[in-house]
Amino acid sequence: MVVSVNNLVKRYGDLVATDHLSFEVKEGEIFGLLGPNGSGKTTAINCILSLLAYDKGEINIFDKPMAPDEYGIKKDIGVIMQDVAVFDELTVYENIDYFCGLYISDKATRKGLVEEAIEFVGINDFRRFYPKKLSGGLLRRLNIACGIAHKPKLIILDEPTVAVDPQSRNNILDGIKKLNNEGATIIYTSHYMEEVEQLCSKIVIMDKGKIIAAGTKEELMAMIKLGERITAEIFNLSADNLKKIERLPNVNSIKYDEKNLFIKYSKGRHNLNTLLDFFRDNEITYGRVYSEQPTLNDVFLEITGKELRD
Amino acid sequence: MFRHIFINRLKCIIRDKVLIFWTLVFSLILATLFGMAFTNISSSENFSSIDVAVINNDAYQKNEDFRKFLKAVSEGEGKLFNIIAATKDEAEKLLDDNKIAGYIIGGPQTELVVKKSGFKQSIIKSALDGYSQTVTTLTAIIKNNPAALQNGLLEDAGGTWEYTEAVPLGTTDKPDTTVNYFYSLIAMACFYGAFIGMKEITDTQANLSKRAARLNVAPVHKLKVLTAGLLAGYVILVMEILILLAYLIFVIKVDFGKQTGYILMTCFMGCAAGITFGAFIGAAVKKGEGVKTAVLIGSTMAASFLAGMMSGGSSNIKYLVAKDIPVLAYINPITLITDALYALYYYDTHTRFFININLLSGFTILFCLLTYLIIRRRRYASI
Repeated sequence: MVVSVNNLVKRYGDLVATDHLSFEVKEGEIFGLLGPNGSGKTTAINCILSLLAYDKGEINIFDKPMAPDEYGIKKDIGVIMQDVAVFDELTVYENIDYFCGLYISDKATRKGLVEEAIEFVGINDFRRFYPKKLSGGLLRRLNIACGIAHKPKLIILDEPTVAVDPQSRNNILDGIKKLNNEGATIIYTSHYMEEVEQLCSKIVIMDKGKIIAAGTKEELMAMIKLGERITAEIFNLSADNLKKIERLPNVNSIKYDEKNLFIKYSKGRHNLNTLLDFFRDNEITYGRVYSEQPTLNDVFLEITGKELRD
Repeated sequence: MFRHIFINRLKCIIRDKVLIFWTLVFSLILATLFGMAFTNISSSENFSSIDVAVINNDAYQKNEDFRKFLKAVSEGEGKLFNIIAATKDEAEKLLDDNKIAGYIIGGPQTELVVKKSGFKQSIIKSALDGYSQTVTTLTAIIKNNPAALQNGLLEDAGGTWEYTEAVPLGTTDKPDTTVNYFYSLIAMACFYGAFIGMKEITDTQANLSKRAARLNVAPVHKLKVLTAGLLAGYVILVMEILILLAYLIFVIKVDFGKQTGYILMTCFMGCAAGITFGAFIGAAVKKGEGVKTAVLIGSTMAASFLAGMMSGGSSNIKYLVAKDIPVLAYINPITLITDALYALYYYDTHTRFFININLLSGFTILFCLLTYLIIRRRRYASI
């Protein structure tokens, strides 16, 4: 096991930031910690890294108890903090070299690793720039390069795409997949469900310091009643037809706002065909119709009764 | 690893423009202002020879003794007068044009003509009275006791006897009270190194900066990082103080006496005390960086004021503190630096100097210990 967290409790006064948190991260996984802001993700990460003192629990990394002076464990960990953590007085190259130098003493080896990291995050043209001259996206890429240059076995990324433009975000996400393909185990925290869905092989959803669901994306989807969501653009829909639609197979709930009809289905097949057949048989004129599969937000909504981004 | 951290911390500090401004440029600006303000104060205290004319008539030419007397007081480095031999008309014109303080008419009765009474005129009159009194006394002695001439009366009367020995104060030939201001400035500059100490703590403590959090997850001991950083800061601060000293000595022309080695020792100790003080404040004050900076500036300026740096009779403040609250002088590191330099300048012995240096060393060790006790924890309650 790469990381094992058992019954982790961390309190800030009366606030319980992590409430008996337990999970395991296996080698080669991209492990996602998903939850709204303040759900305890960063606190959990800081406890794992032995930055924060915690009230209760056990944390093992590479099957050894983690402690602040466990340098043997630390040398194989790379961390990308939520906030950009670089020195404004050092250039892009010097920043990466400095942080890499805390892990790799040999200058020649380090030079190669720094070049590789610069190439990996695509900031070669900016190597002599000072961080203040970089855009938000480039800064994030530099932040990542500083955390991965020493080729760690375990990489922890804490919300690395906050306030990042779409191009940089895609670059970052592609990079994480590549690192994983090269053998690194990844722990990825985010409140962006799309990213976690796209990236992670195993997902833990957190709220108020507790794990409310855990599993693969498919396992999480299977936990909820919602199977499909269909939206249809309709301008004149009678109350009678609305009642008939409500009685169609698998329909869980409907909502009509004089312009769009929203239907939620429980699990089942051919829902869209059945609905279109109904429109045709009852001569209902419709515009755009589209179907959506449930998301992690639906999982979160069904379990907690609130949106993930609330 | 230590070298790697040390070199990068050197780069970080040197490239921090705000830090360099406060620890070097600000001191140089103050030095320049002090230099401009004090240049005339010192020169106004210097004595300059008095311009005086003597009427070049027959009586003057025949009176060889009087000519010798005037020659004696208008020669050498500390001469009293600049004597100009002139006709009466020329002397009158010079007096009218304020080119001379007065003119002398030799003869049986020496006369001094002045346009107004004042300091310079009093000096001329006093010198002439002295000469006349000596001549009168000698004439009376020879008249009553002619044998005195054979016993060396004229040699005795003509010689200059000093009954009081002039001992130069301290280690310089020309003591200058304004150097106290420059001592305080050097002490303040040393203590502005506290900003460097605070920066190092901020970049080492995970609860103070994200950069430090990244350092704390690396496989390197926190104290190693801090030691390398503080050492880098110390090297830069010492360089800055050497630049300031060179600027004061070679550009502003401040005379710090002849004990260069001890002056450098004081500066090195002052830098160490300043940096460790900043590290202590950075670790002890649990507020944001703005509050820490405010505490540093406030405490440094207050300590500088009590050490006698500010104008408007602030030197009296140092004296008042030493007289009425002496303990405050002993616990103010800036006073200790200032006083160590003062002791080097004004005293022949090093007792007072070493008391100051030992106290300063004590404070440096105390700041180090307190900082260590605060930052030694391995995990943080919150970050």
